[in-house]
Amino acid sequence: MTPNRIFHLFCLFALLAPLAAMARNVDLATVPSRGTVQLTIYNSEDLTLVRETRVVTFKQGVNPLQFSWANTLIDPTSVELKFRQPNVGLDVLDTTFPHDKPQTLYWNVQSDANREAVIEISYFTSGISWEADYLAIADPEEKALRLESFVRVRNQSGEDYENAQVRLVVGTINLVEKIAELAKLPVGRVKEDLGKEEYREMRQKAARKMMAPPAPASIVMAGAAYDMAAEMEVPKEIIKEGLSEYFIYTIEGTETVPNGWAKRLRSFEAAGVPMTVQYRYRPREYGEQLVRLYLLRNDTASKLGTTPLPDGTLRVFRANGREGLSYLTTQNLKYVPIGDKIELNLGPDPAVVFELLKQKVRRDNLWFQIKGGNLYRKLGEDGMKLELDSQVAGWDERTVFRQRIRNYTSKPVSVEIRREYPGDIVFRSKLDPALHDFQTVQFKTDIPAMGKAELDYEIVARQGYNQKQNRVELQTGDVAR
Amino acid sequence: MNRTRWLYPLGVLLLCGAVPPDALARIKLTTLPVRERVEIQLDHPEIALVEEERIVPLVKGVNQVDFSWANTRIDPDTLVLRILPPPADQPLDAKVLSVSYPPNETALVWAVSASASGAARVRISYVLGGLSKDFHYRAVADHDEKTLNLVQFLRVNNNANEAYDAADFWAGVGERFSKPLGLSETKEVQLNRFASVPVRKIYTCDPTEFGYLDRAQDKLNVPMHYVIKNTGGALGKEPLPEGKARIFQDDGKGSSAFLGEDRGKFTAPDDELKLYLGLARDIAVRRTVDRSERQRIAGNLYRYDVTLKYEIENFKDVPATLDIAESVRQIRDAVRGDSGRDPEWQLGDGSLRNPDPEKSDADKLLFHVDLPARAADGQAKKQVHTLRLTLNNEW
Repeated sequence: MTPNRIFHLFCLFALLAPLAAMARNVDLATVPSRGTVQLTIYNSEDLTLVRETRVVTFKQGVNPLQFSWANTLIDPTSVELKFRQPNVGLDVLDTTFPHDKPQTLYWNVQSDANREAVIEISYFTSGISWEADYLAIADPEEKALRLESFVRVRNQSGEDYENAQVRLVVGTINLVEKIAELAKLPVGRVKEDLGKEEYREMRQKAARKMMAPPAPASIVMAGAAYDMAAEMEVPKEIIKEGLSEYFIYTIEGTETVPNGWAKRLRSFEAAGVPMTVQYRYRPREYGEQLVRLYLLRNDTASKLGTTPLPDGTLRVFRANGREGLSYLTTQNLKYVPIGDKIELNLGPDPAVVFELLKQKVRRDNLWFQIKGGNLYRKLGEDGMKLELDSQVAGWDERTVFRQRIRNYTSKPVSVEIRREYPGDIVFRSKLDPALHDFQTVQFKTDIPAMGKAELDYEIVARQGYNQKQNRVELQTGDVAR
Repeated sequence: MNRTRWLYPLGVLLLCGAVPPDALARIKLTTLPVRERVEIQLDHPEIALVEEERIVPLVKGVNQVDFSWANTRIDPDTLVLRILPPPADQPLDAKVLSVSYPPNETALVWAVSASASGAARVRISYVLGGLSKDFHYRAVADHDEKTLNLVQFLRVNNNANEAYDAADFWAGVGERFSKPLGLSETKEVQLNRFASVPVRKIYTCDPTEFGYLDRAQDKLNVPMHYVIKNTGGALGKEPLPEGKARIFQDDGKGSSAFLGEDRGKFTAPDDELKLYLGLARDIAVRRTVDRSERQRIAGNLYRYDVTLKYEIENFKDVPATLDIAESVRQIRDAVRGDSGRDPEWQLGDGSLRNPDPEKSDADKLLFHVDLPARAADGQAKKQVHTLRLTLNNEW
């Protein structure tokens, strides 16, 4: 493992001397090591709040402390020093960012006695990110599915974080400046010139370290404790809590994520999540095709509902009943609050044939504008003359459609259709339709296995002068043939 | 096989969770479990899902299962490790704790926790680029062209830079099969054989779709199609995927002749697969607009009366059925220009007045016309048909 190569906290023993004295050529410094580290990683921005504690010995009077962070992506304006234990008797007099030493700052700490103190340094860094992803495996009958959610933490920050407590924030925060821009530093990279074997060895060592239990626990594990420790390790729990508009996931124990690595942990898993299959035609959402969907709900009745589902990639498979899988789709799941529905679009199903047939077109209720003026007459009205100088100004266009759906699957299917009709429209049918909005008609049908449905309807579009409204009117009745 | 290059190395580092990590390096044991079984699922239209089954030795505690690949297009985000249920007499509870992704390497490391030492059967599934499939068909028609024997083939193209000594394939249709698949190899297998499938031979003239053979002489192209309905017998149980179809005909002398080929479209059960084989030059159709008149209804509102005339000769020595197809919109656009509106029409009292209701709609009209064989003296009798249309409410 590479050493903690970046952060250096020096207690400078050019002591009792003010900052001007540090310009000397000979300094003596001690490097207090890191105690604990906590990473709070946001997924909506390239932002991580790092909080680390160190133990420092202070002498009575003014103590200069140097903090530097070469080759990292730290926002220098965010670095803050606090005194945890004791929290009285210690004070930061000032903070200096020297012009001749980039990525360094000095604190002058006033102590009222000689003492050891636990200090906390917090700062924002970029380069550490997390994302959610999901794996859904439907059972062969497509009545229920198994949903697994994962979180993947990536560390490209230039710094190794060992045994860090990791917290992940689900939510969208506002930043006025990007942390990476504030840091203005290139991302550290793993050496690429290592030999393959050497590199593999290094990787395996790093992997072992990542999987190693937290340091304090391994110290305890010895002798009589061996048997207990050898019990089967279970996946870490990820504790989910609400905080303001956000959700915080806290990964149980600590994690080590070396620079350049990513690590994926299971956030939750739920087996036997009930679901239904629906076919939908909604051109605005799914394009000009009938698509198949798995519908489920993020609630406790569905064995979910413990957490909102953060944005992430979701891969859907179906168990084929022979221990194998069928790949169905990959889609980006948008944030799903607790209690909300989850819709997985599997795309078109070749076994369900969806055809719209235009069967007949007829025009009537023709109105004429007489001589370009404000006088309008209807064709066929008493006294209507064949004015040469009159133009068709309005008419009703009647179009008869047949929606034919053939189901060649071995199961009944439920189909929901939405069609949008701009203009002044009458939708005439016996399909028991409903209005999704003022210009969108929705109707449903169930089709038995290996069966077909023929849904007839007539659209009357009032055109030109005849158009008085912009809405769809639903009428129940036979379709004109 | 060059394991380091072609086999995806699956290394298992056996780590005992109780021993401090540094000490573990000295007692590590790496095994390379071989593939016990491979299934290649090609049922998705575009994606190949490979599933490998391996027996992985695990020790009680945490095990590091290292999966790496080179020169292949595995989509690492699709990798799924599933631990299959153990046999009842060897209970072994194993769980994936986490997955780690090393930098700059096509690899990942699963941390697997085991309740006891033993072998676990695992399935590793992933989407693999470079493995593709296509279907094609070969049909031999009887000498009288009433039935044909249709054979469906699957071709698997392996450009995935990986070889499989044995793999079970599933293409979404037909039977599952097991075959080896070598590096950069294409494997072709027969998936289905459909015997004595009824075939209809149809002749069609459709100026919109097939155009004119000689525009100056108003002669239409008359393509010949074989039509196979995906129903009955062994057919009709599954869709026929799209693919090239080559049609041969039994020449009655123990051999066969190639009639032509076409790219068959995806054909759902109950649908018709229509294959264009070539032009029929022995059926001549002349199409002319015989009459086009307009009558003013009011102001700028008109009605058009249009008559199309077809002069048809069958020079074949067998009777045939000709399908005459028309687009009313195209007729309207030709006689008065495109108004942007759908035509409103009525059929008049021409000889063509009963369109096929299943194949006609608000725009398309399809008529079937029976043509007798040419007479014994070699003369073909000319048939004249008319299509009378009234186009209402045009302006």
